[in-house]
Amino acid sequence: MVKRKSRQAALVAGLSALALIASACGFRDDGGGGDDGGGGNGEIATDVGVSAEACPEAVNKDNGCIYLGVISDLTAGPFAPLAVPITDAQKAFWKLVNDDGGIGGYDVDITSNIKDNKYNPETHRQVYQEIKGNVLALAQTLGSPTTAAIIKDLKSSNVVSAPASWTSAWEFEDVIIESGTNYCIESMNSVDYAADDLGAKSVMAVHFPGDYGDDGAGGAKIAAEARDLTFDDVETPPGQDNQSGAIQAIVGKKPDVVILTTAPTEAAVIVGQTAARGFKGKFIGTSPTWNPALLKSPAADAFKALYFQSGPWAPFGAETDGHKAMRDAVGKVTPNDGYTAGWAWSYPLKAALEKAVENGDLTREGLVNAVKSLETVDYAGMLPDEAGNFAGEPNDAVFRQSLISKVDEDAPTGVSVEKDLFEGTTAKDYELSKQCF
Amino acid sequence: MAELLQSISGGLGQGSIYALLALGFVIIYKATRVISFAQPALMLAGAVLVSYLVGAVGFYAAVVLGVVGAALLGLGIERTVVRPMVGKPVFVVAIITLGIDIALRVVVNGFIGNDVRQVGDPWGFARISVLGVAVQERHIATFVTTALVITVLFAFFKYSRLGLAMRAAAFDQETALAQGMSVGTVFALSWAIAGGLAAVAGTFVATGAGLDQQLWIIALKALPAIILGGLDSLGGAVVGGLTIGVVESLVATYQSDFAPWLGQNFAVVSPYVVMMLVLLVKPYGLFGTREVERV
Repeated sequence: MVKRKSRQAALVAGLSALALIASACGFRDDGGGGDDGGGGNGEIATDVGVSAEACPEAVNKDNGCIYLGVISDLTAGPFAPLAVPITDAQKAFWKLVNDDGGIGGYDVDITSNIKDNKYNPETHRQVYQEIKGNVLALAQTLGSPTTAAIIKDLKSSNVVSAPASWTSAWEFEDVIIESGTNYCIESMNSVDYAADDLGAKSVMAVHFPGDYGDDGAGGAKIAAEARDLTFDDVETPPGQDNQSGAIQAIVGKKPDVVILTTAPTEAAVIVGQTAARGFKGKFIGTSPTWNPALLKSPAADAFKALYFQSGPWAPFGAETDGHKAMRDAVGKVTPNDGYTAGWAWSYPLKAALEKAVENGDLTREGLVNAVKSLETVDYAGMLPDEAGNFAGEPNDAVFRQSLISKVDEDAPTGVSVEKDLFEGTTAKDYELSKQCF
Repeated sequence: MAELLQSISGGLGQGSIYALLALGFVIIYKATRVISFAQPALMLAGAVLVSYLVGAVGFYAAVVLGVVGAALLGLGIERTVVRPMVGKPVFVVAIITLGIDIALRVVVNGFIGNDVRQVGDPWGFARISVLGVAVQERHIATFVTTALVITVLFAFFKYSRLGLAMRAAAFDQETALAQGMSVGTVFALSWAIAGGLAAVAGTFVATGAGLDQQLWIIALKALPAIILGGLDSLGGAVVGGLTIGVVESLVATYQSDFAPWLGQNFAVVSPYVVMMLVLLVKPYGLFGTREVERV
């Protein structure tokens, strides 16, 4: 007779469910790395992650090699749909730099040290330790909780890093070279837009828990108070089956405008179902909230009628030189604003490397010093040059402009600019003395 | 009152999905004594298959083909990966199913890609009025489909030879073997049925907003459902699934009014709270078979 073990099985089921949630998987582990130290071009001082030998896949065989690391969410994490295009755009960006002759006698290699963090802080720290000795700087460290797990080491080891996240915390870190404004100020501008252009009297922030959603909601609250608008804060967890609380709150309180910081499927459920239940207010979502495929979903009509999208820079199809260069470099791909972001995030690191070469000091410390002296960065029109100010105090250096896009079926990523980069009155007067969450 | 009925209707719709998934877990458990953690991946695979077929053959045919596809996938997994483990401790097999789940999801994620995929269902977010209560059409469709599937399934177990063989094998494998029943066929069939049920569930989860790489997590809510209903009870899986759906919906609707001190989003953990309470009072679930242990 088969022994019945349902009690143990129940326990195993519970524990294994936890294990399953905690687990994740990936198969993209490109190993390899560069030589530590190295000669460089004689006059330029170097230490970690810069070598006199050519890169493994050098465009310019006579050049030395600068190794940059990438830690991204490449397979199983929630941001993989954005992270893969971000990483592809960065590969294309640095390839273009190499095609143009490299930087100061060096090619830049970002493909030898690409690691998958699966959006898990522990994994992030682990893979960072694996590549830390091979690279001068990080061309991408994706996510804020993940980057927070290594920030102490980044600081103590002088590893300059381009983040793939927009939280206000990065304004206060010298080694992090962020681009575009943060979620906090972006949401302040969205609330100002709601009050000035949409005539809103009440605002609700519907957001994920954690630094992405909380930073956005923090900014919305600050702006709502400054503009004397009614404000409600509704935290909602990830998962399209978990949105009934948020839907209930929106339909119940009927705010004029909802500031949305979630992911695309959650947005589809919230916007689609509230519209079906007669909600007539507007939604303004941050860029990770949007995905062009939402226009093929049953919520498409609701999005067209009610949705705006805020963003730190113009979407994929915009006509700046930077956008054009990005589209040419990534080639024939399904348009995705991950490409736009990966491209924009790369300009400050390029500027810092050029500055460090100019200073004759391509050591890690030399690169940090170069970053601290950057007052402008040439973003090829994607952002104004002053957006790349890393020299001043956070409150002086922070870039306070964002833009609003509207749903546009003909645009490559389903949105086109409604109101170009602007600085709302709340953001203008706001004293940024600490992060918003 | 309308709000209460609306909340319950939504909960029954969502609960039907949990019930379908829970049935898959229970059928495999009854046949093999293994809790298969491959259900989330099978659910995702079925829904993705539907999303690819819908353009060519239309929604209803795509669902049928998706169910067949996921059933064959379940069958294939059983024949290739699980079958060699017959006779090994069930705990080992359960861990293997965890591996299958992860591996399969990575493959399926490749087919999902960067964007949200649509299953092209005819309901969207449309609502109709039933006795003065606005109910989502897709919830009605889910509930009716689940009721139909369950009826067919119960009839199959009660009246068909193969169904009887499955019940017999679940009751006592050795005796069933001695009576000339193929326990191997029973194992394979249980995986196929679980795959098919998961595909139906996945399709209904994806109605409305569509499917992305994170959809699989929903399948784990079937675990509190099966523990509530009893791991080896088909009826229990249905009752458990519906209960979890309704509890979750009611908590989402009313918790902020009646128990704001629990914090926001208590609804998300409410299925697990119910599961804990049931485990405390009835460790074998509401309808599970009590374990007879000889010391």
